[in-house]
Amino acid sequence: MQAEETSPQVRRPRAHAARMTHKVSGRLALRQVMPLACLSALLTCLASLLWGAGDVGPWQALQVLAGQGSDQARFVVLELRAPRTLIGMVVGMMLACGGALMQVVARNPLAEPGLLGVSAGASFAVAVALLLGMEATGMHVMVAQSGALLGCLFVMSTVRMSGARQDPVRLVLAGAALSSLLVALTSLALLIDQRAADEIRFWVIGSLAGRSLEALYSSLPSILLAVLLTLWLARPLSAMVLGEQVASGLGHHPKRVRKVAILVVALLVGAATALAGPVAFVGLAVPYVARALCGADVRRTLWLCLPLGVTMLLSADVVSRLVVPPSELPLGVLTTLMGAPVLIAVVRARRLPTL
Amino acid sequence: MSRPSPLDPLRSAPTGTLWWRHGKLSLLLLRAPLLAAGILLLALLMASVASLMLGSAGLGPWDAFKAAFGHGEFATVFVVQELRLPRLLAGIATGAAFSLAGCLMQTLAGNRLATPGIIGIDNGATAFAVASVVGMGISLAPPVMALSGAVIATALAFGLSGGIGTRGYRFLVAGIGVGALFGAGTQLMLARVSIDAANSAYPWTVGSLNARDADSLTWLGLALLIGVPIALWLGRGLNTLRFTDRVATGLGQPVSRVRLITLWLSVVLTAAAVAVAGPVGMVALVGPEIARYLSRHKGVPLLASALAGALVMVLADLAGRTLLSPQEIPVGIVMAVVGSPYLLWILLRSPR
Repeated sequence: MQAEETSPQVRRPRAHAARMTHKVSGRLALRQVMPLACLSALLTCLASLLWGAGDVGPWQALQVLAGQGSDQARFVVLELRAPRTLIGMVVGMMLACGGALMQVVARNPLAEPGLLGVSAGASFAVAVALLLGMEATGMHVMVAQSGALLGCLFVMSTVRMSGARQDPVRLVLAGAALSSLLVALTSLALLIDQRAADEIRFWVIGSLAGRSLEALYSSLPSILLAVLLTLWLARPLSAMVLGEQVASGLGHHPKRVRKVAILVVALLVGAATALAGPVAFVGLAVPYVARALCGADVRRTLWLCLPLGVTMLLSADVVSRLVVPPSELPLGVLTTLMGAPVLIAVVRARRLPTL
Repeated sequence: MSRPSPLDPLRSAPTGTLWWRHGKLSLLLLRAPLLAAGILLLALLMASVASLMLGSAGLGPWDAFKAAFGHGEFATVFVVQELRLPRLLAGIATGAAFSLAGCLMQTLAGNRLATPGIIGIDNGATAFAVASVVGMGISLAPPVMALSGAVIATALAFGLSGGIGTRGYRFLVAGIGVGALFGAGTQLMLARVSIDAANSAYPWTVGSLNARDADSLTWLGLALLIGVPIALWLGRGLNTLRFTDRVATGLGQPVSRVRLITLWLSVVLTAAAVAVAGPVGMVALVGPEIARYLSRHKGVPLLASALAGALVMVLADLAGRTLLSPQEIPVGIVMAVVGSPYLLWILLRSPR
């Protein structure tokens, strides 16, 4: 466990000593990492604007960004790629932060919303809503969030049961079972109703293609709510890492904090699933890298998760556009290819880090 | 007539066993597993007849039974012999293979959750079988490709968690990671090929008995013919795997050889079954559980597992065919809906 971050006023006279300790522990200060992470996020955003499946090459796209270029190029870059990039950024941040929060609440570095069935819950809820005759547009976000909340509650109740608490790895197994159940039920629902299947088929595989900004706007209120709640949660959560007794000794209410945190995870993951479909492993890989870079304090992890989540999701998206030029790969495939090695690495680590 | 001595084997046979001897040959059979196998066989027979009877054209049990042997009206015979019977056989064979492989893997890992489906072997086999169907430059028969995929997935899962043997839950999660990688690979291939090729490979991604191909079924039959006797012959060695290696060695078992054969057997059976029906991994979890419950014995219920797996598979396929009648639910989805809650229940219930 990293020590509590000292406030800037205290640290400044002892900056040298602080740097020394960071070096000793192999971790970097947030100030050192953050600019680089933001730079990488910016670069992937730029790449996402420049490269695509269409005829508009990087050079033309650059011209458009400089305010020139043909009408066609302007349309492709500003109307197609820019919204897609924006949605990708938001989804990446939401998934990464959702994963980081869930890992703190479950006290388990493997707790990933996609692996644990939270995303599967969201897509199952949407499938059922379509089956009951709801229209696809507009309703997605709320429905997906309530499905995600159900998935979260289920998984968290398994954490509290004796079996899953002893071994962090059991939680992942339970999540895998829950997810396979929900995925099977989703495909069953799609088998029953052909109309729902047509509306949802492109959506269940996880992709940023063809998403409109309206979906993003309709999920904005819940995202704002989640951000506010997260700001309120950050301090109590970092206290809860030290143990519930310590947290309540410091004046926090662990039970209430846990409930709110679960709600935030459901809001974030549900909105992300409604926007881009189920995308696994972002919530595992990004917080893992963030913790490896600058320590386990959840406040620093969350900040670092923002640019790193953008980087991971957008780079996966760019690659998914470029591999098979006319068509696209599902986004979830690429994030899985990037994230599954992280899962294996975490499991292989001799001492499984408990949060 | 002489009085039987206390050491006479006829008298010292333990309770709950059947004793058979002929001259110098003798055989000691446990009664409970035999009873379980009998019950399962009977149930399988009934399920098979039901599976021949039910469908879009309903038949009486006697008609179905006669038609299976070629008597009766032409249309009936055609439906039963050409459509339902091969499907039934495929169901029995794949169910038995999956379940036997699951039982072997569970015994090997000392963990009832360690089925080939969970540790990613199914997904590895599926990825390679799909590769052979959509023609990714390599043209080998699906069973061979499935086998190589299964072997690679197994090597990864075990290699990443440090060798064959009991690895607890950590090994399972490494397997889940490997499985996720291969699953992504399958989707990657399906996304790259034309829609026709993708459709022909679709059954492999969900698990269905609809599109089995005759060659693969033959291979599976061969694998079962060789695999089941080897498994039964291994039975005694498998029983000792529950002890520590030292005890097992002291009891005269070549432990590492038994482990290796068990692993290979499990991988080959899984791969052959996946080549026919796709990943229906939940059978490997449910089948051995039923067998264990019925045989009420601490040993490894190999034969009963195979029978129970076949029964479960036939029933699941029957349910998938008949529940939403014009639509057909792939057997993989039926098994996932039935098996996953059961898996959850095991996980949450037993505080091991």
